[in-house]
Amino acid sequence: MEEFFHAHQAQHYLVLGAMLFALGAAGVVLRRNAIIVLMSIELMLNAVNLTFLAFSRFPLVPDSPMGSFLSGHAAVFFVIATAAAEASVGLAIIIAVFRSRTSINVDEFDTLKL
Amino acid sequence: MEVTWLHLIPLLPLVGAAICGLVGKWIPKSWVYAVALASVLLSFLIGLRAFIGLGEQAPLFHELWFNWFSAGSLHVDMAFMFDRLSGALTLVVTGVGFLIHVYSVGYMEEDPGYWRYFSYLNLFIAAMLTLVLGDNLVAMFVGWEGVGLCSYLLIGFWFTDEEKAYAGRKAFVVNRIGDFGFLIGIFILFNQVGAVGFAQINSAALPLDVASMAALCLFVGATGKSAQLPLYIWLPDAMAGPTPVSALIHAATMVTAGVYMVARLSHLYVSAPGVMAVVAVVGVLTALFAACLALVQRDIKRVLAFSTCSQLGYMVAALGAGSAFAGFFHLGTHAFFKACLFLGSGAVIHGLHGEQDIQKMGGLRKYMPSTRTTFMIATIAITGVLPLSGFFSKDEILGQALHTRAFGFLTLGYSGPHLAFLGPLIYAVGSFTALLTSFYMWRCYFLTFSGEYRGPENVHPHESPSVMTVPLWILAALSVVGLVLGLPQAWVHGTWLQNWTWEHFTEGVFSRPRGGPPEEFSPYLGYGIALIVGWGGWASSRALYYKRGLAGDELLTARIHAVRRALANKLYVDELYDFIVVRPLWALARGLFRLVDATIIDGIFVNGIPALIAWVGAMARRFQNGDVQRYLAVTALGVAALLYVFLVRG
Repeated sequence: MEEFFHAHQAQHYLVLGAMLFALGAAGVVLRRNAIIVLMSIELMLNAVNLTFLAFSRFPLVPDSPMGSFLSGHAAVFFVIATAAAEASVGLAIIIAVFRSRTSINVDEFDTLKL
Repeated sequence: MEVTWLHLIPLLPLVGAAICGLVGKWIPKSWVYAVALASVLLSFLIGLRAFIGLGEQAPLFHELWFNWFSAGSLHVDMAFMFDRLSGALTLVVTGVGFLIHVYSVGYMEEDPGYWRYFSYLNLFIAAMLTLVLGDNLVAMFVGWEGVGLCSYLLIGFWFTDEEKAYAGRKAFVVNRIGDFGFLIGIFILFNQVGAVGFAQINSAALPLDVASMAALCLFVGATGKSAQLPLYIWLPDAMAGPTPVSALIHAATMVTAGVYMVARLSHLYVSAPGVMAVVAVVGVLTALFAACLALVQRDIKRVLAFSTCSQLGYMVAALGAGSAFAGFFHLGTHAFFKACLFLGSGAVIHGLHGEQDIQKMGGLRKYMPSTRTTFMIATIAITGVLPLSGFFSKDEILGQALHTRAFGFLTLGYSGPHLAFLGPLIYAVGSFTALLTSFYMWRCYFLTFSGEYRGPENVHPHESPSVMTVPLWILAALSVVGLVLGLPQAWVHGTWLQNWTWEHFTEGVFSRPRGGPPEEFSPYLGYGIALIVGWGGWASSRALYYKRGLAGDELLTARIHAVRRALANKLYVDELYDFIVVRPLWALARGLFRLVDATIIDGIFVNGIPALIAWVGAMARRFQNGDVQRYLAVTALGVAALLYVFLVRG
């Protein structure tokens, strides 16, 4: 048991990250409500964060000169900050769209059509 | 003898045609006349000088103008040959052509398209001279097609009238059928002889089957151009053109091209006795058939058109009987009197403001004395009565046919006096046709000029201006003087006249039939029969029509209405062709149109390919629906696929 956890820790985090990413992607693609879509994007970003942390904790190349123990953490902070900014911009867009269209169903916004 | 000026003869009218056609609309009318007339007159003078120059030292003039094209062993030269045969015809073409040009000045006076008309007329002369003077079959074919084109252009000269435009198309299409045979004949001869020059062809010894096949194919071309059975149908309709055109193209010159071609290749023809028999039979049947149709026609030009068919039949029969001389002689005299008749009918039509129906003529003797006299002279000439030119030419043909030894079977060739019954048969049919000819020509004359005027009150017949009557008088005079050309050698031997007979002109030009020359015969019995026949036609016609006018027609066919109706409807031949040829072709064309054009070309290519592209576009447009989520889904799937390929498979 001990060995299992020790030997397979990285995979566990990566698999969980992949599952969260996939769930988030599915939410982005399938849900109609723009707010849920935005939330799903947050989920995907967090899945990415988890992956960063996993690789930070279990580096692929030990003692690599390219990165240190903290480089993954630094990337995660950037992602969180960006996600916050993105969420605020996204919500602002949704409010603006709702004002003009009285709807936030993304499948009704198809003016990109050729 | 090689010369360098021969090409001027066809070139001058060509230049005239170019000037009239290109700038004729903008230069004064008199300049157009001057150019058109002068070019033909100059050609005539050059031809006359050349013809006088022919003699012991120079049996023919030859000019290699330029090498037209060479491909492998085929060398085609634009080369001209002026011997007694082509020379005589050159004089007829340019001489009669010039007179008709002069006449046209009066006839086309009020037509706004006069410059176009003279351009076509000059172009025709140029093409006809190329046909006549060309020293090989390909050069001849150029002229052959050229005259066909001009014929089409001039028949449909008043092309805004749909009926006339149709007549032009009909003439062109029917001639194309004949031309196809002509082309095949050229191919056969080139394939077998290796050259297309008349000299080489006439001196080649061809096997019987080759000679027969080639001669037969070329004869198909001749039936088209010279309006013989079964391709004569275009000639009556060709009368839609202006009357001088009918005189020049459809009586005097172009329609004789077939006769000329066979005469030119007389050596080839006499080496195929079976074809000779075919030619003779076709000729004499055409003569009879067309004469029957001419009996009841009411359009003065149609009477003359069928008469032309009939006379061409005589010429062709003469060629078949191995007497190219007689056929060619009749060609010359016929050119004079038939041109005179046509121009006379043109003067009548002109004087009656476009009326062509002899029902509405009559009594014109009073109003048009010159036209009437010249028409009568030409009528006497065509009926073959002494002392006018048609007498000797027609009797020469019939006499030669009676005594010929030219015929053989198609497959066996000449090996003795085969088909001996054919000559007398042709003689009998030809003589009967001569009776019919005399009858219908006098009918036409009596109905037009005798009796009382039957036309409407408001039309006042008047004589034509002298620019039209002078050519009539000249042609009438030639119809008389033409007699001298035909005097038998025996009569004029030793006198100054002996150098002025047609027989002397064409000495040594034609080949003699395989079976040898016809046996010596005395012409006097034939002359007697011809005179009886000629005057008999006159007498019966006079008895019927002189007093009664058109009522004579009723009397003639009182008991046999069906026959008359059939004749008046041209024996329903047009309808027959319509049924046998035109309708199936229409059906075939419509079927092909539906299958090939509408289904394959339009359906598959023209509309099918754009439809395919539109379908692909419609499919591709589905990806471009503006739905961001779907874009994302596709992107995600794409990334997943790439990851699968590179991470798992790779």
